Amino acid sequence: MHIFLLILFGFLAGIVGGMGMGGGTVLVPLLSFLDISQKTIQSINLISFLPMCCVALIFHAKNKLIVKTHIWLLIVPALIFAVVGALVADVASNKVLRYCFAVFLTVVGAWQLVVAIKFAVLRKKKNKQEQHIDEER
Amino acid sequence: MNLTAKNKWILIIFSAVAGFINGFLGGGGGVVIVTLMLAVLKLHQKYSQATALLVILPLTFVSALVYLVKGNVDWIPTLWATLGVVAGGIVGALLLSKLNGTVAKILFALVLIAGGIKLFF
Repeated sequence: MHIFLLILFGFLAGIVGGMGMGGGTVLVPLLSFLDISQKTIQSINLISFLPMCCVALIFHAKNKLIVKTHIWLLIVPALIFAVVGALVADVASNKVLRYCFAVFLTVVGAWQLVVAIKFAVLRKKKNKQEQHIDEER
Repeated sequence: MNLTAKNKWILIIFSAVAGFINGFLGGGGGVVIVTLMLAVLKLHQKYSQATALLVILPLTFVSALVYLVKGNVDWIPTLWATLGVVAGGIVGALLLSKLNGTVAKILFALVLIAGGIKLFF
């Protein structure tokens, strides 16, 4: 199989993931250029994420960035439904999975774009206000 | 921090949704978990992203296990792609401090939309 492209696409998605922006959402569409079924792509995405995640967690724990309050309220339901989701994916067709992923990516992308622009505008306003205050002084 | 009953249910329901998405689509649950931590637990971005990994690690592990048991794993492409992801991850972590946050976020959002459109065809 296209070993070079697999490593290259993994590398590109890894850069995004390493910056903490969800590398998996980049890896799935990239791998769809190769002749691999959607289910295999999704399993590649899950498995390749595991070593990265372990390393990142060690760093974050050292930097004291992990907040454990209420964490079980998130982990327990997420774990149960992750199993359910994976079982449903097994019976779903590759085409349905691919379309669902496409819808998910487009919605998340559009939403992130709105948030990023809003944030940028807010910061610009804040900077201007601070400038005014400085000028008045 | 004390949570109201309503917020507890919001956490439970949306983390269930995040788990389902992550298992069904093989990823993407992190976006939902980070948002929950920002909006309900009121954690800062840095803490949310770091803590979300602690939630996503076990749920990615169990989803991967189901894919494996159901025979949906092909090890050869998986190992090559994983090699690339780990190498890229190290580069990405080193680059992180050198990129302007807003520019990176807008670029990333555009990449997601392009990826979504690509998957439709």
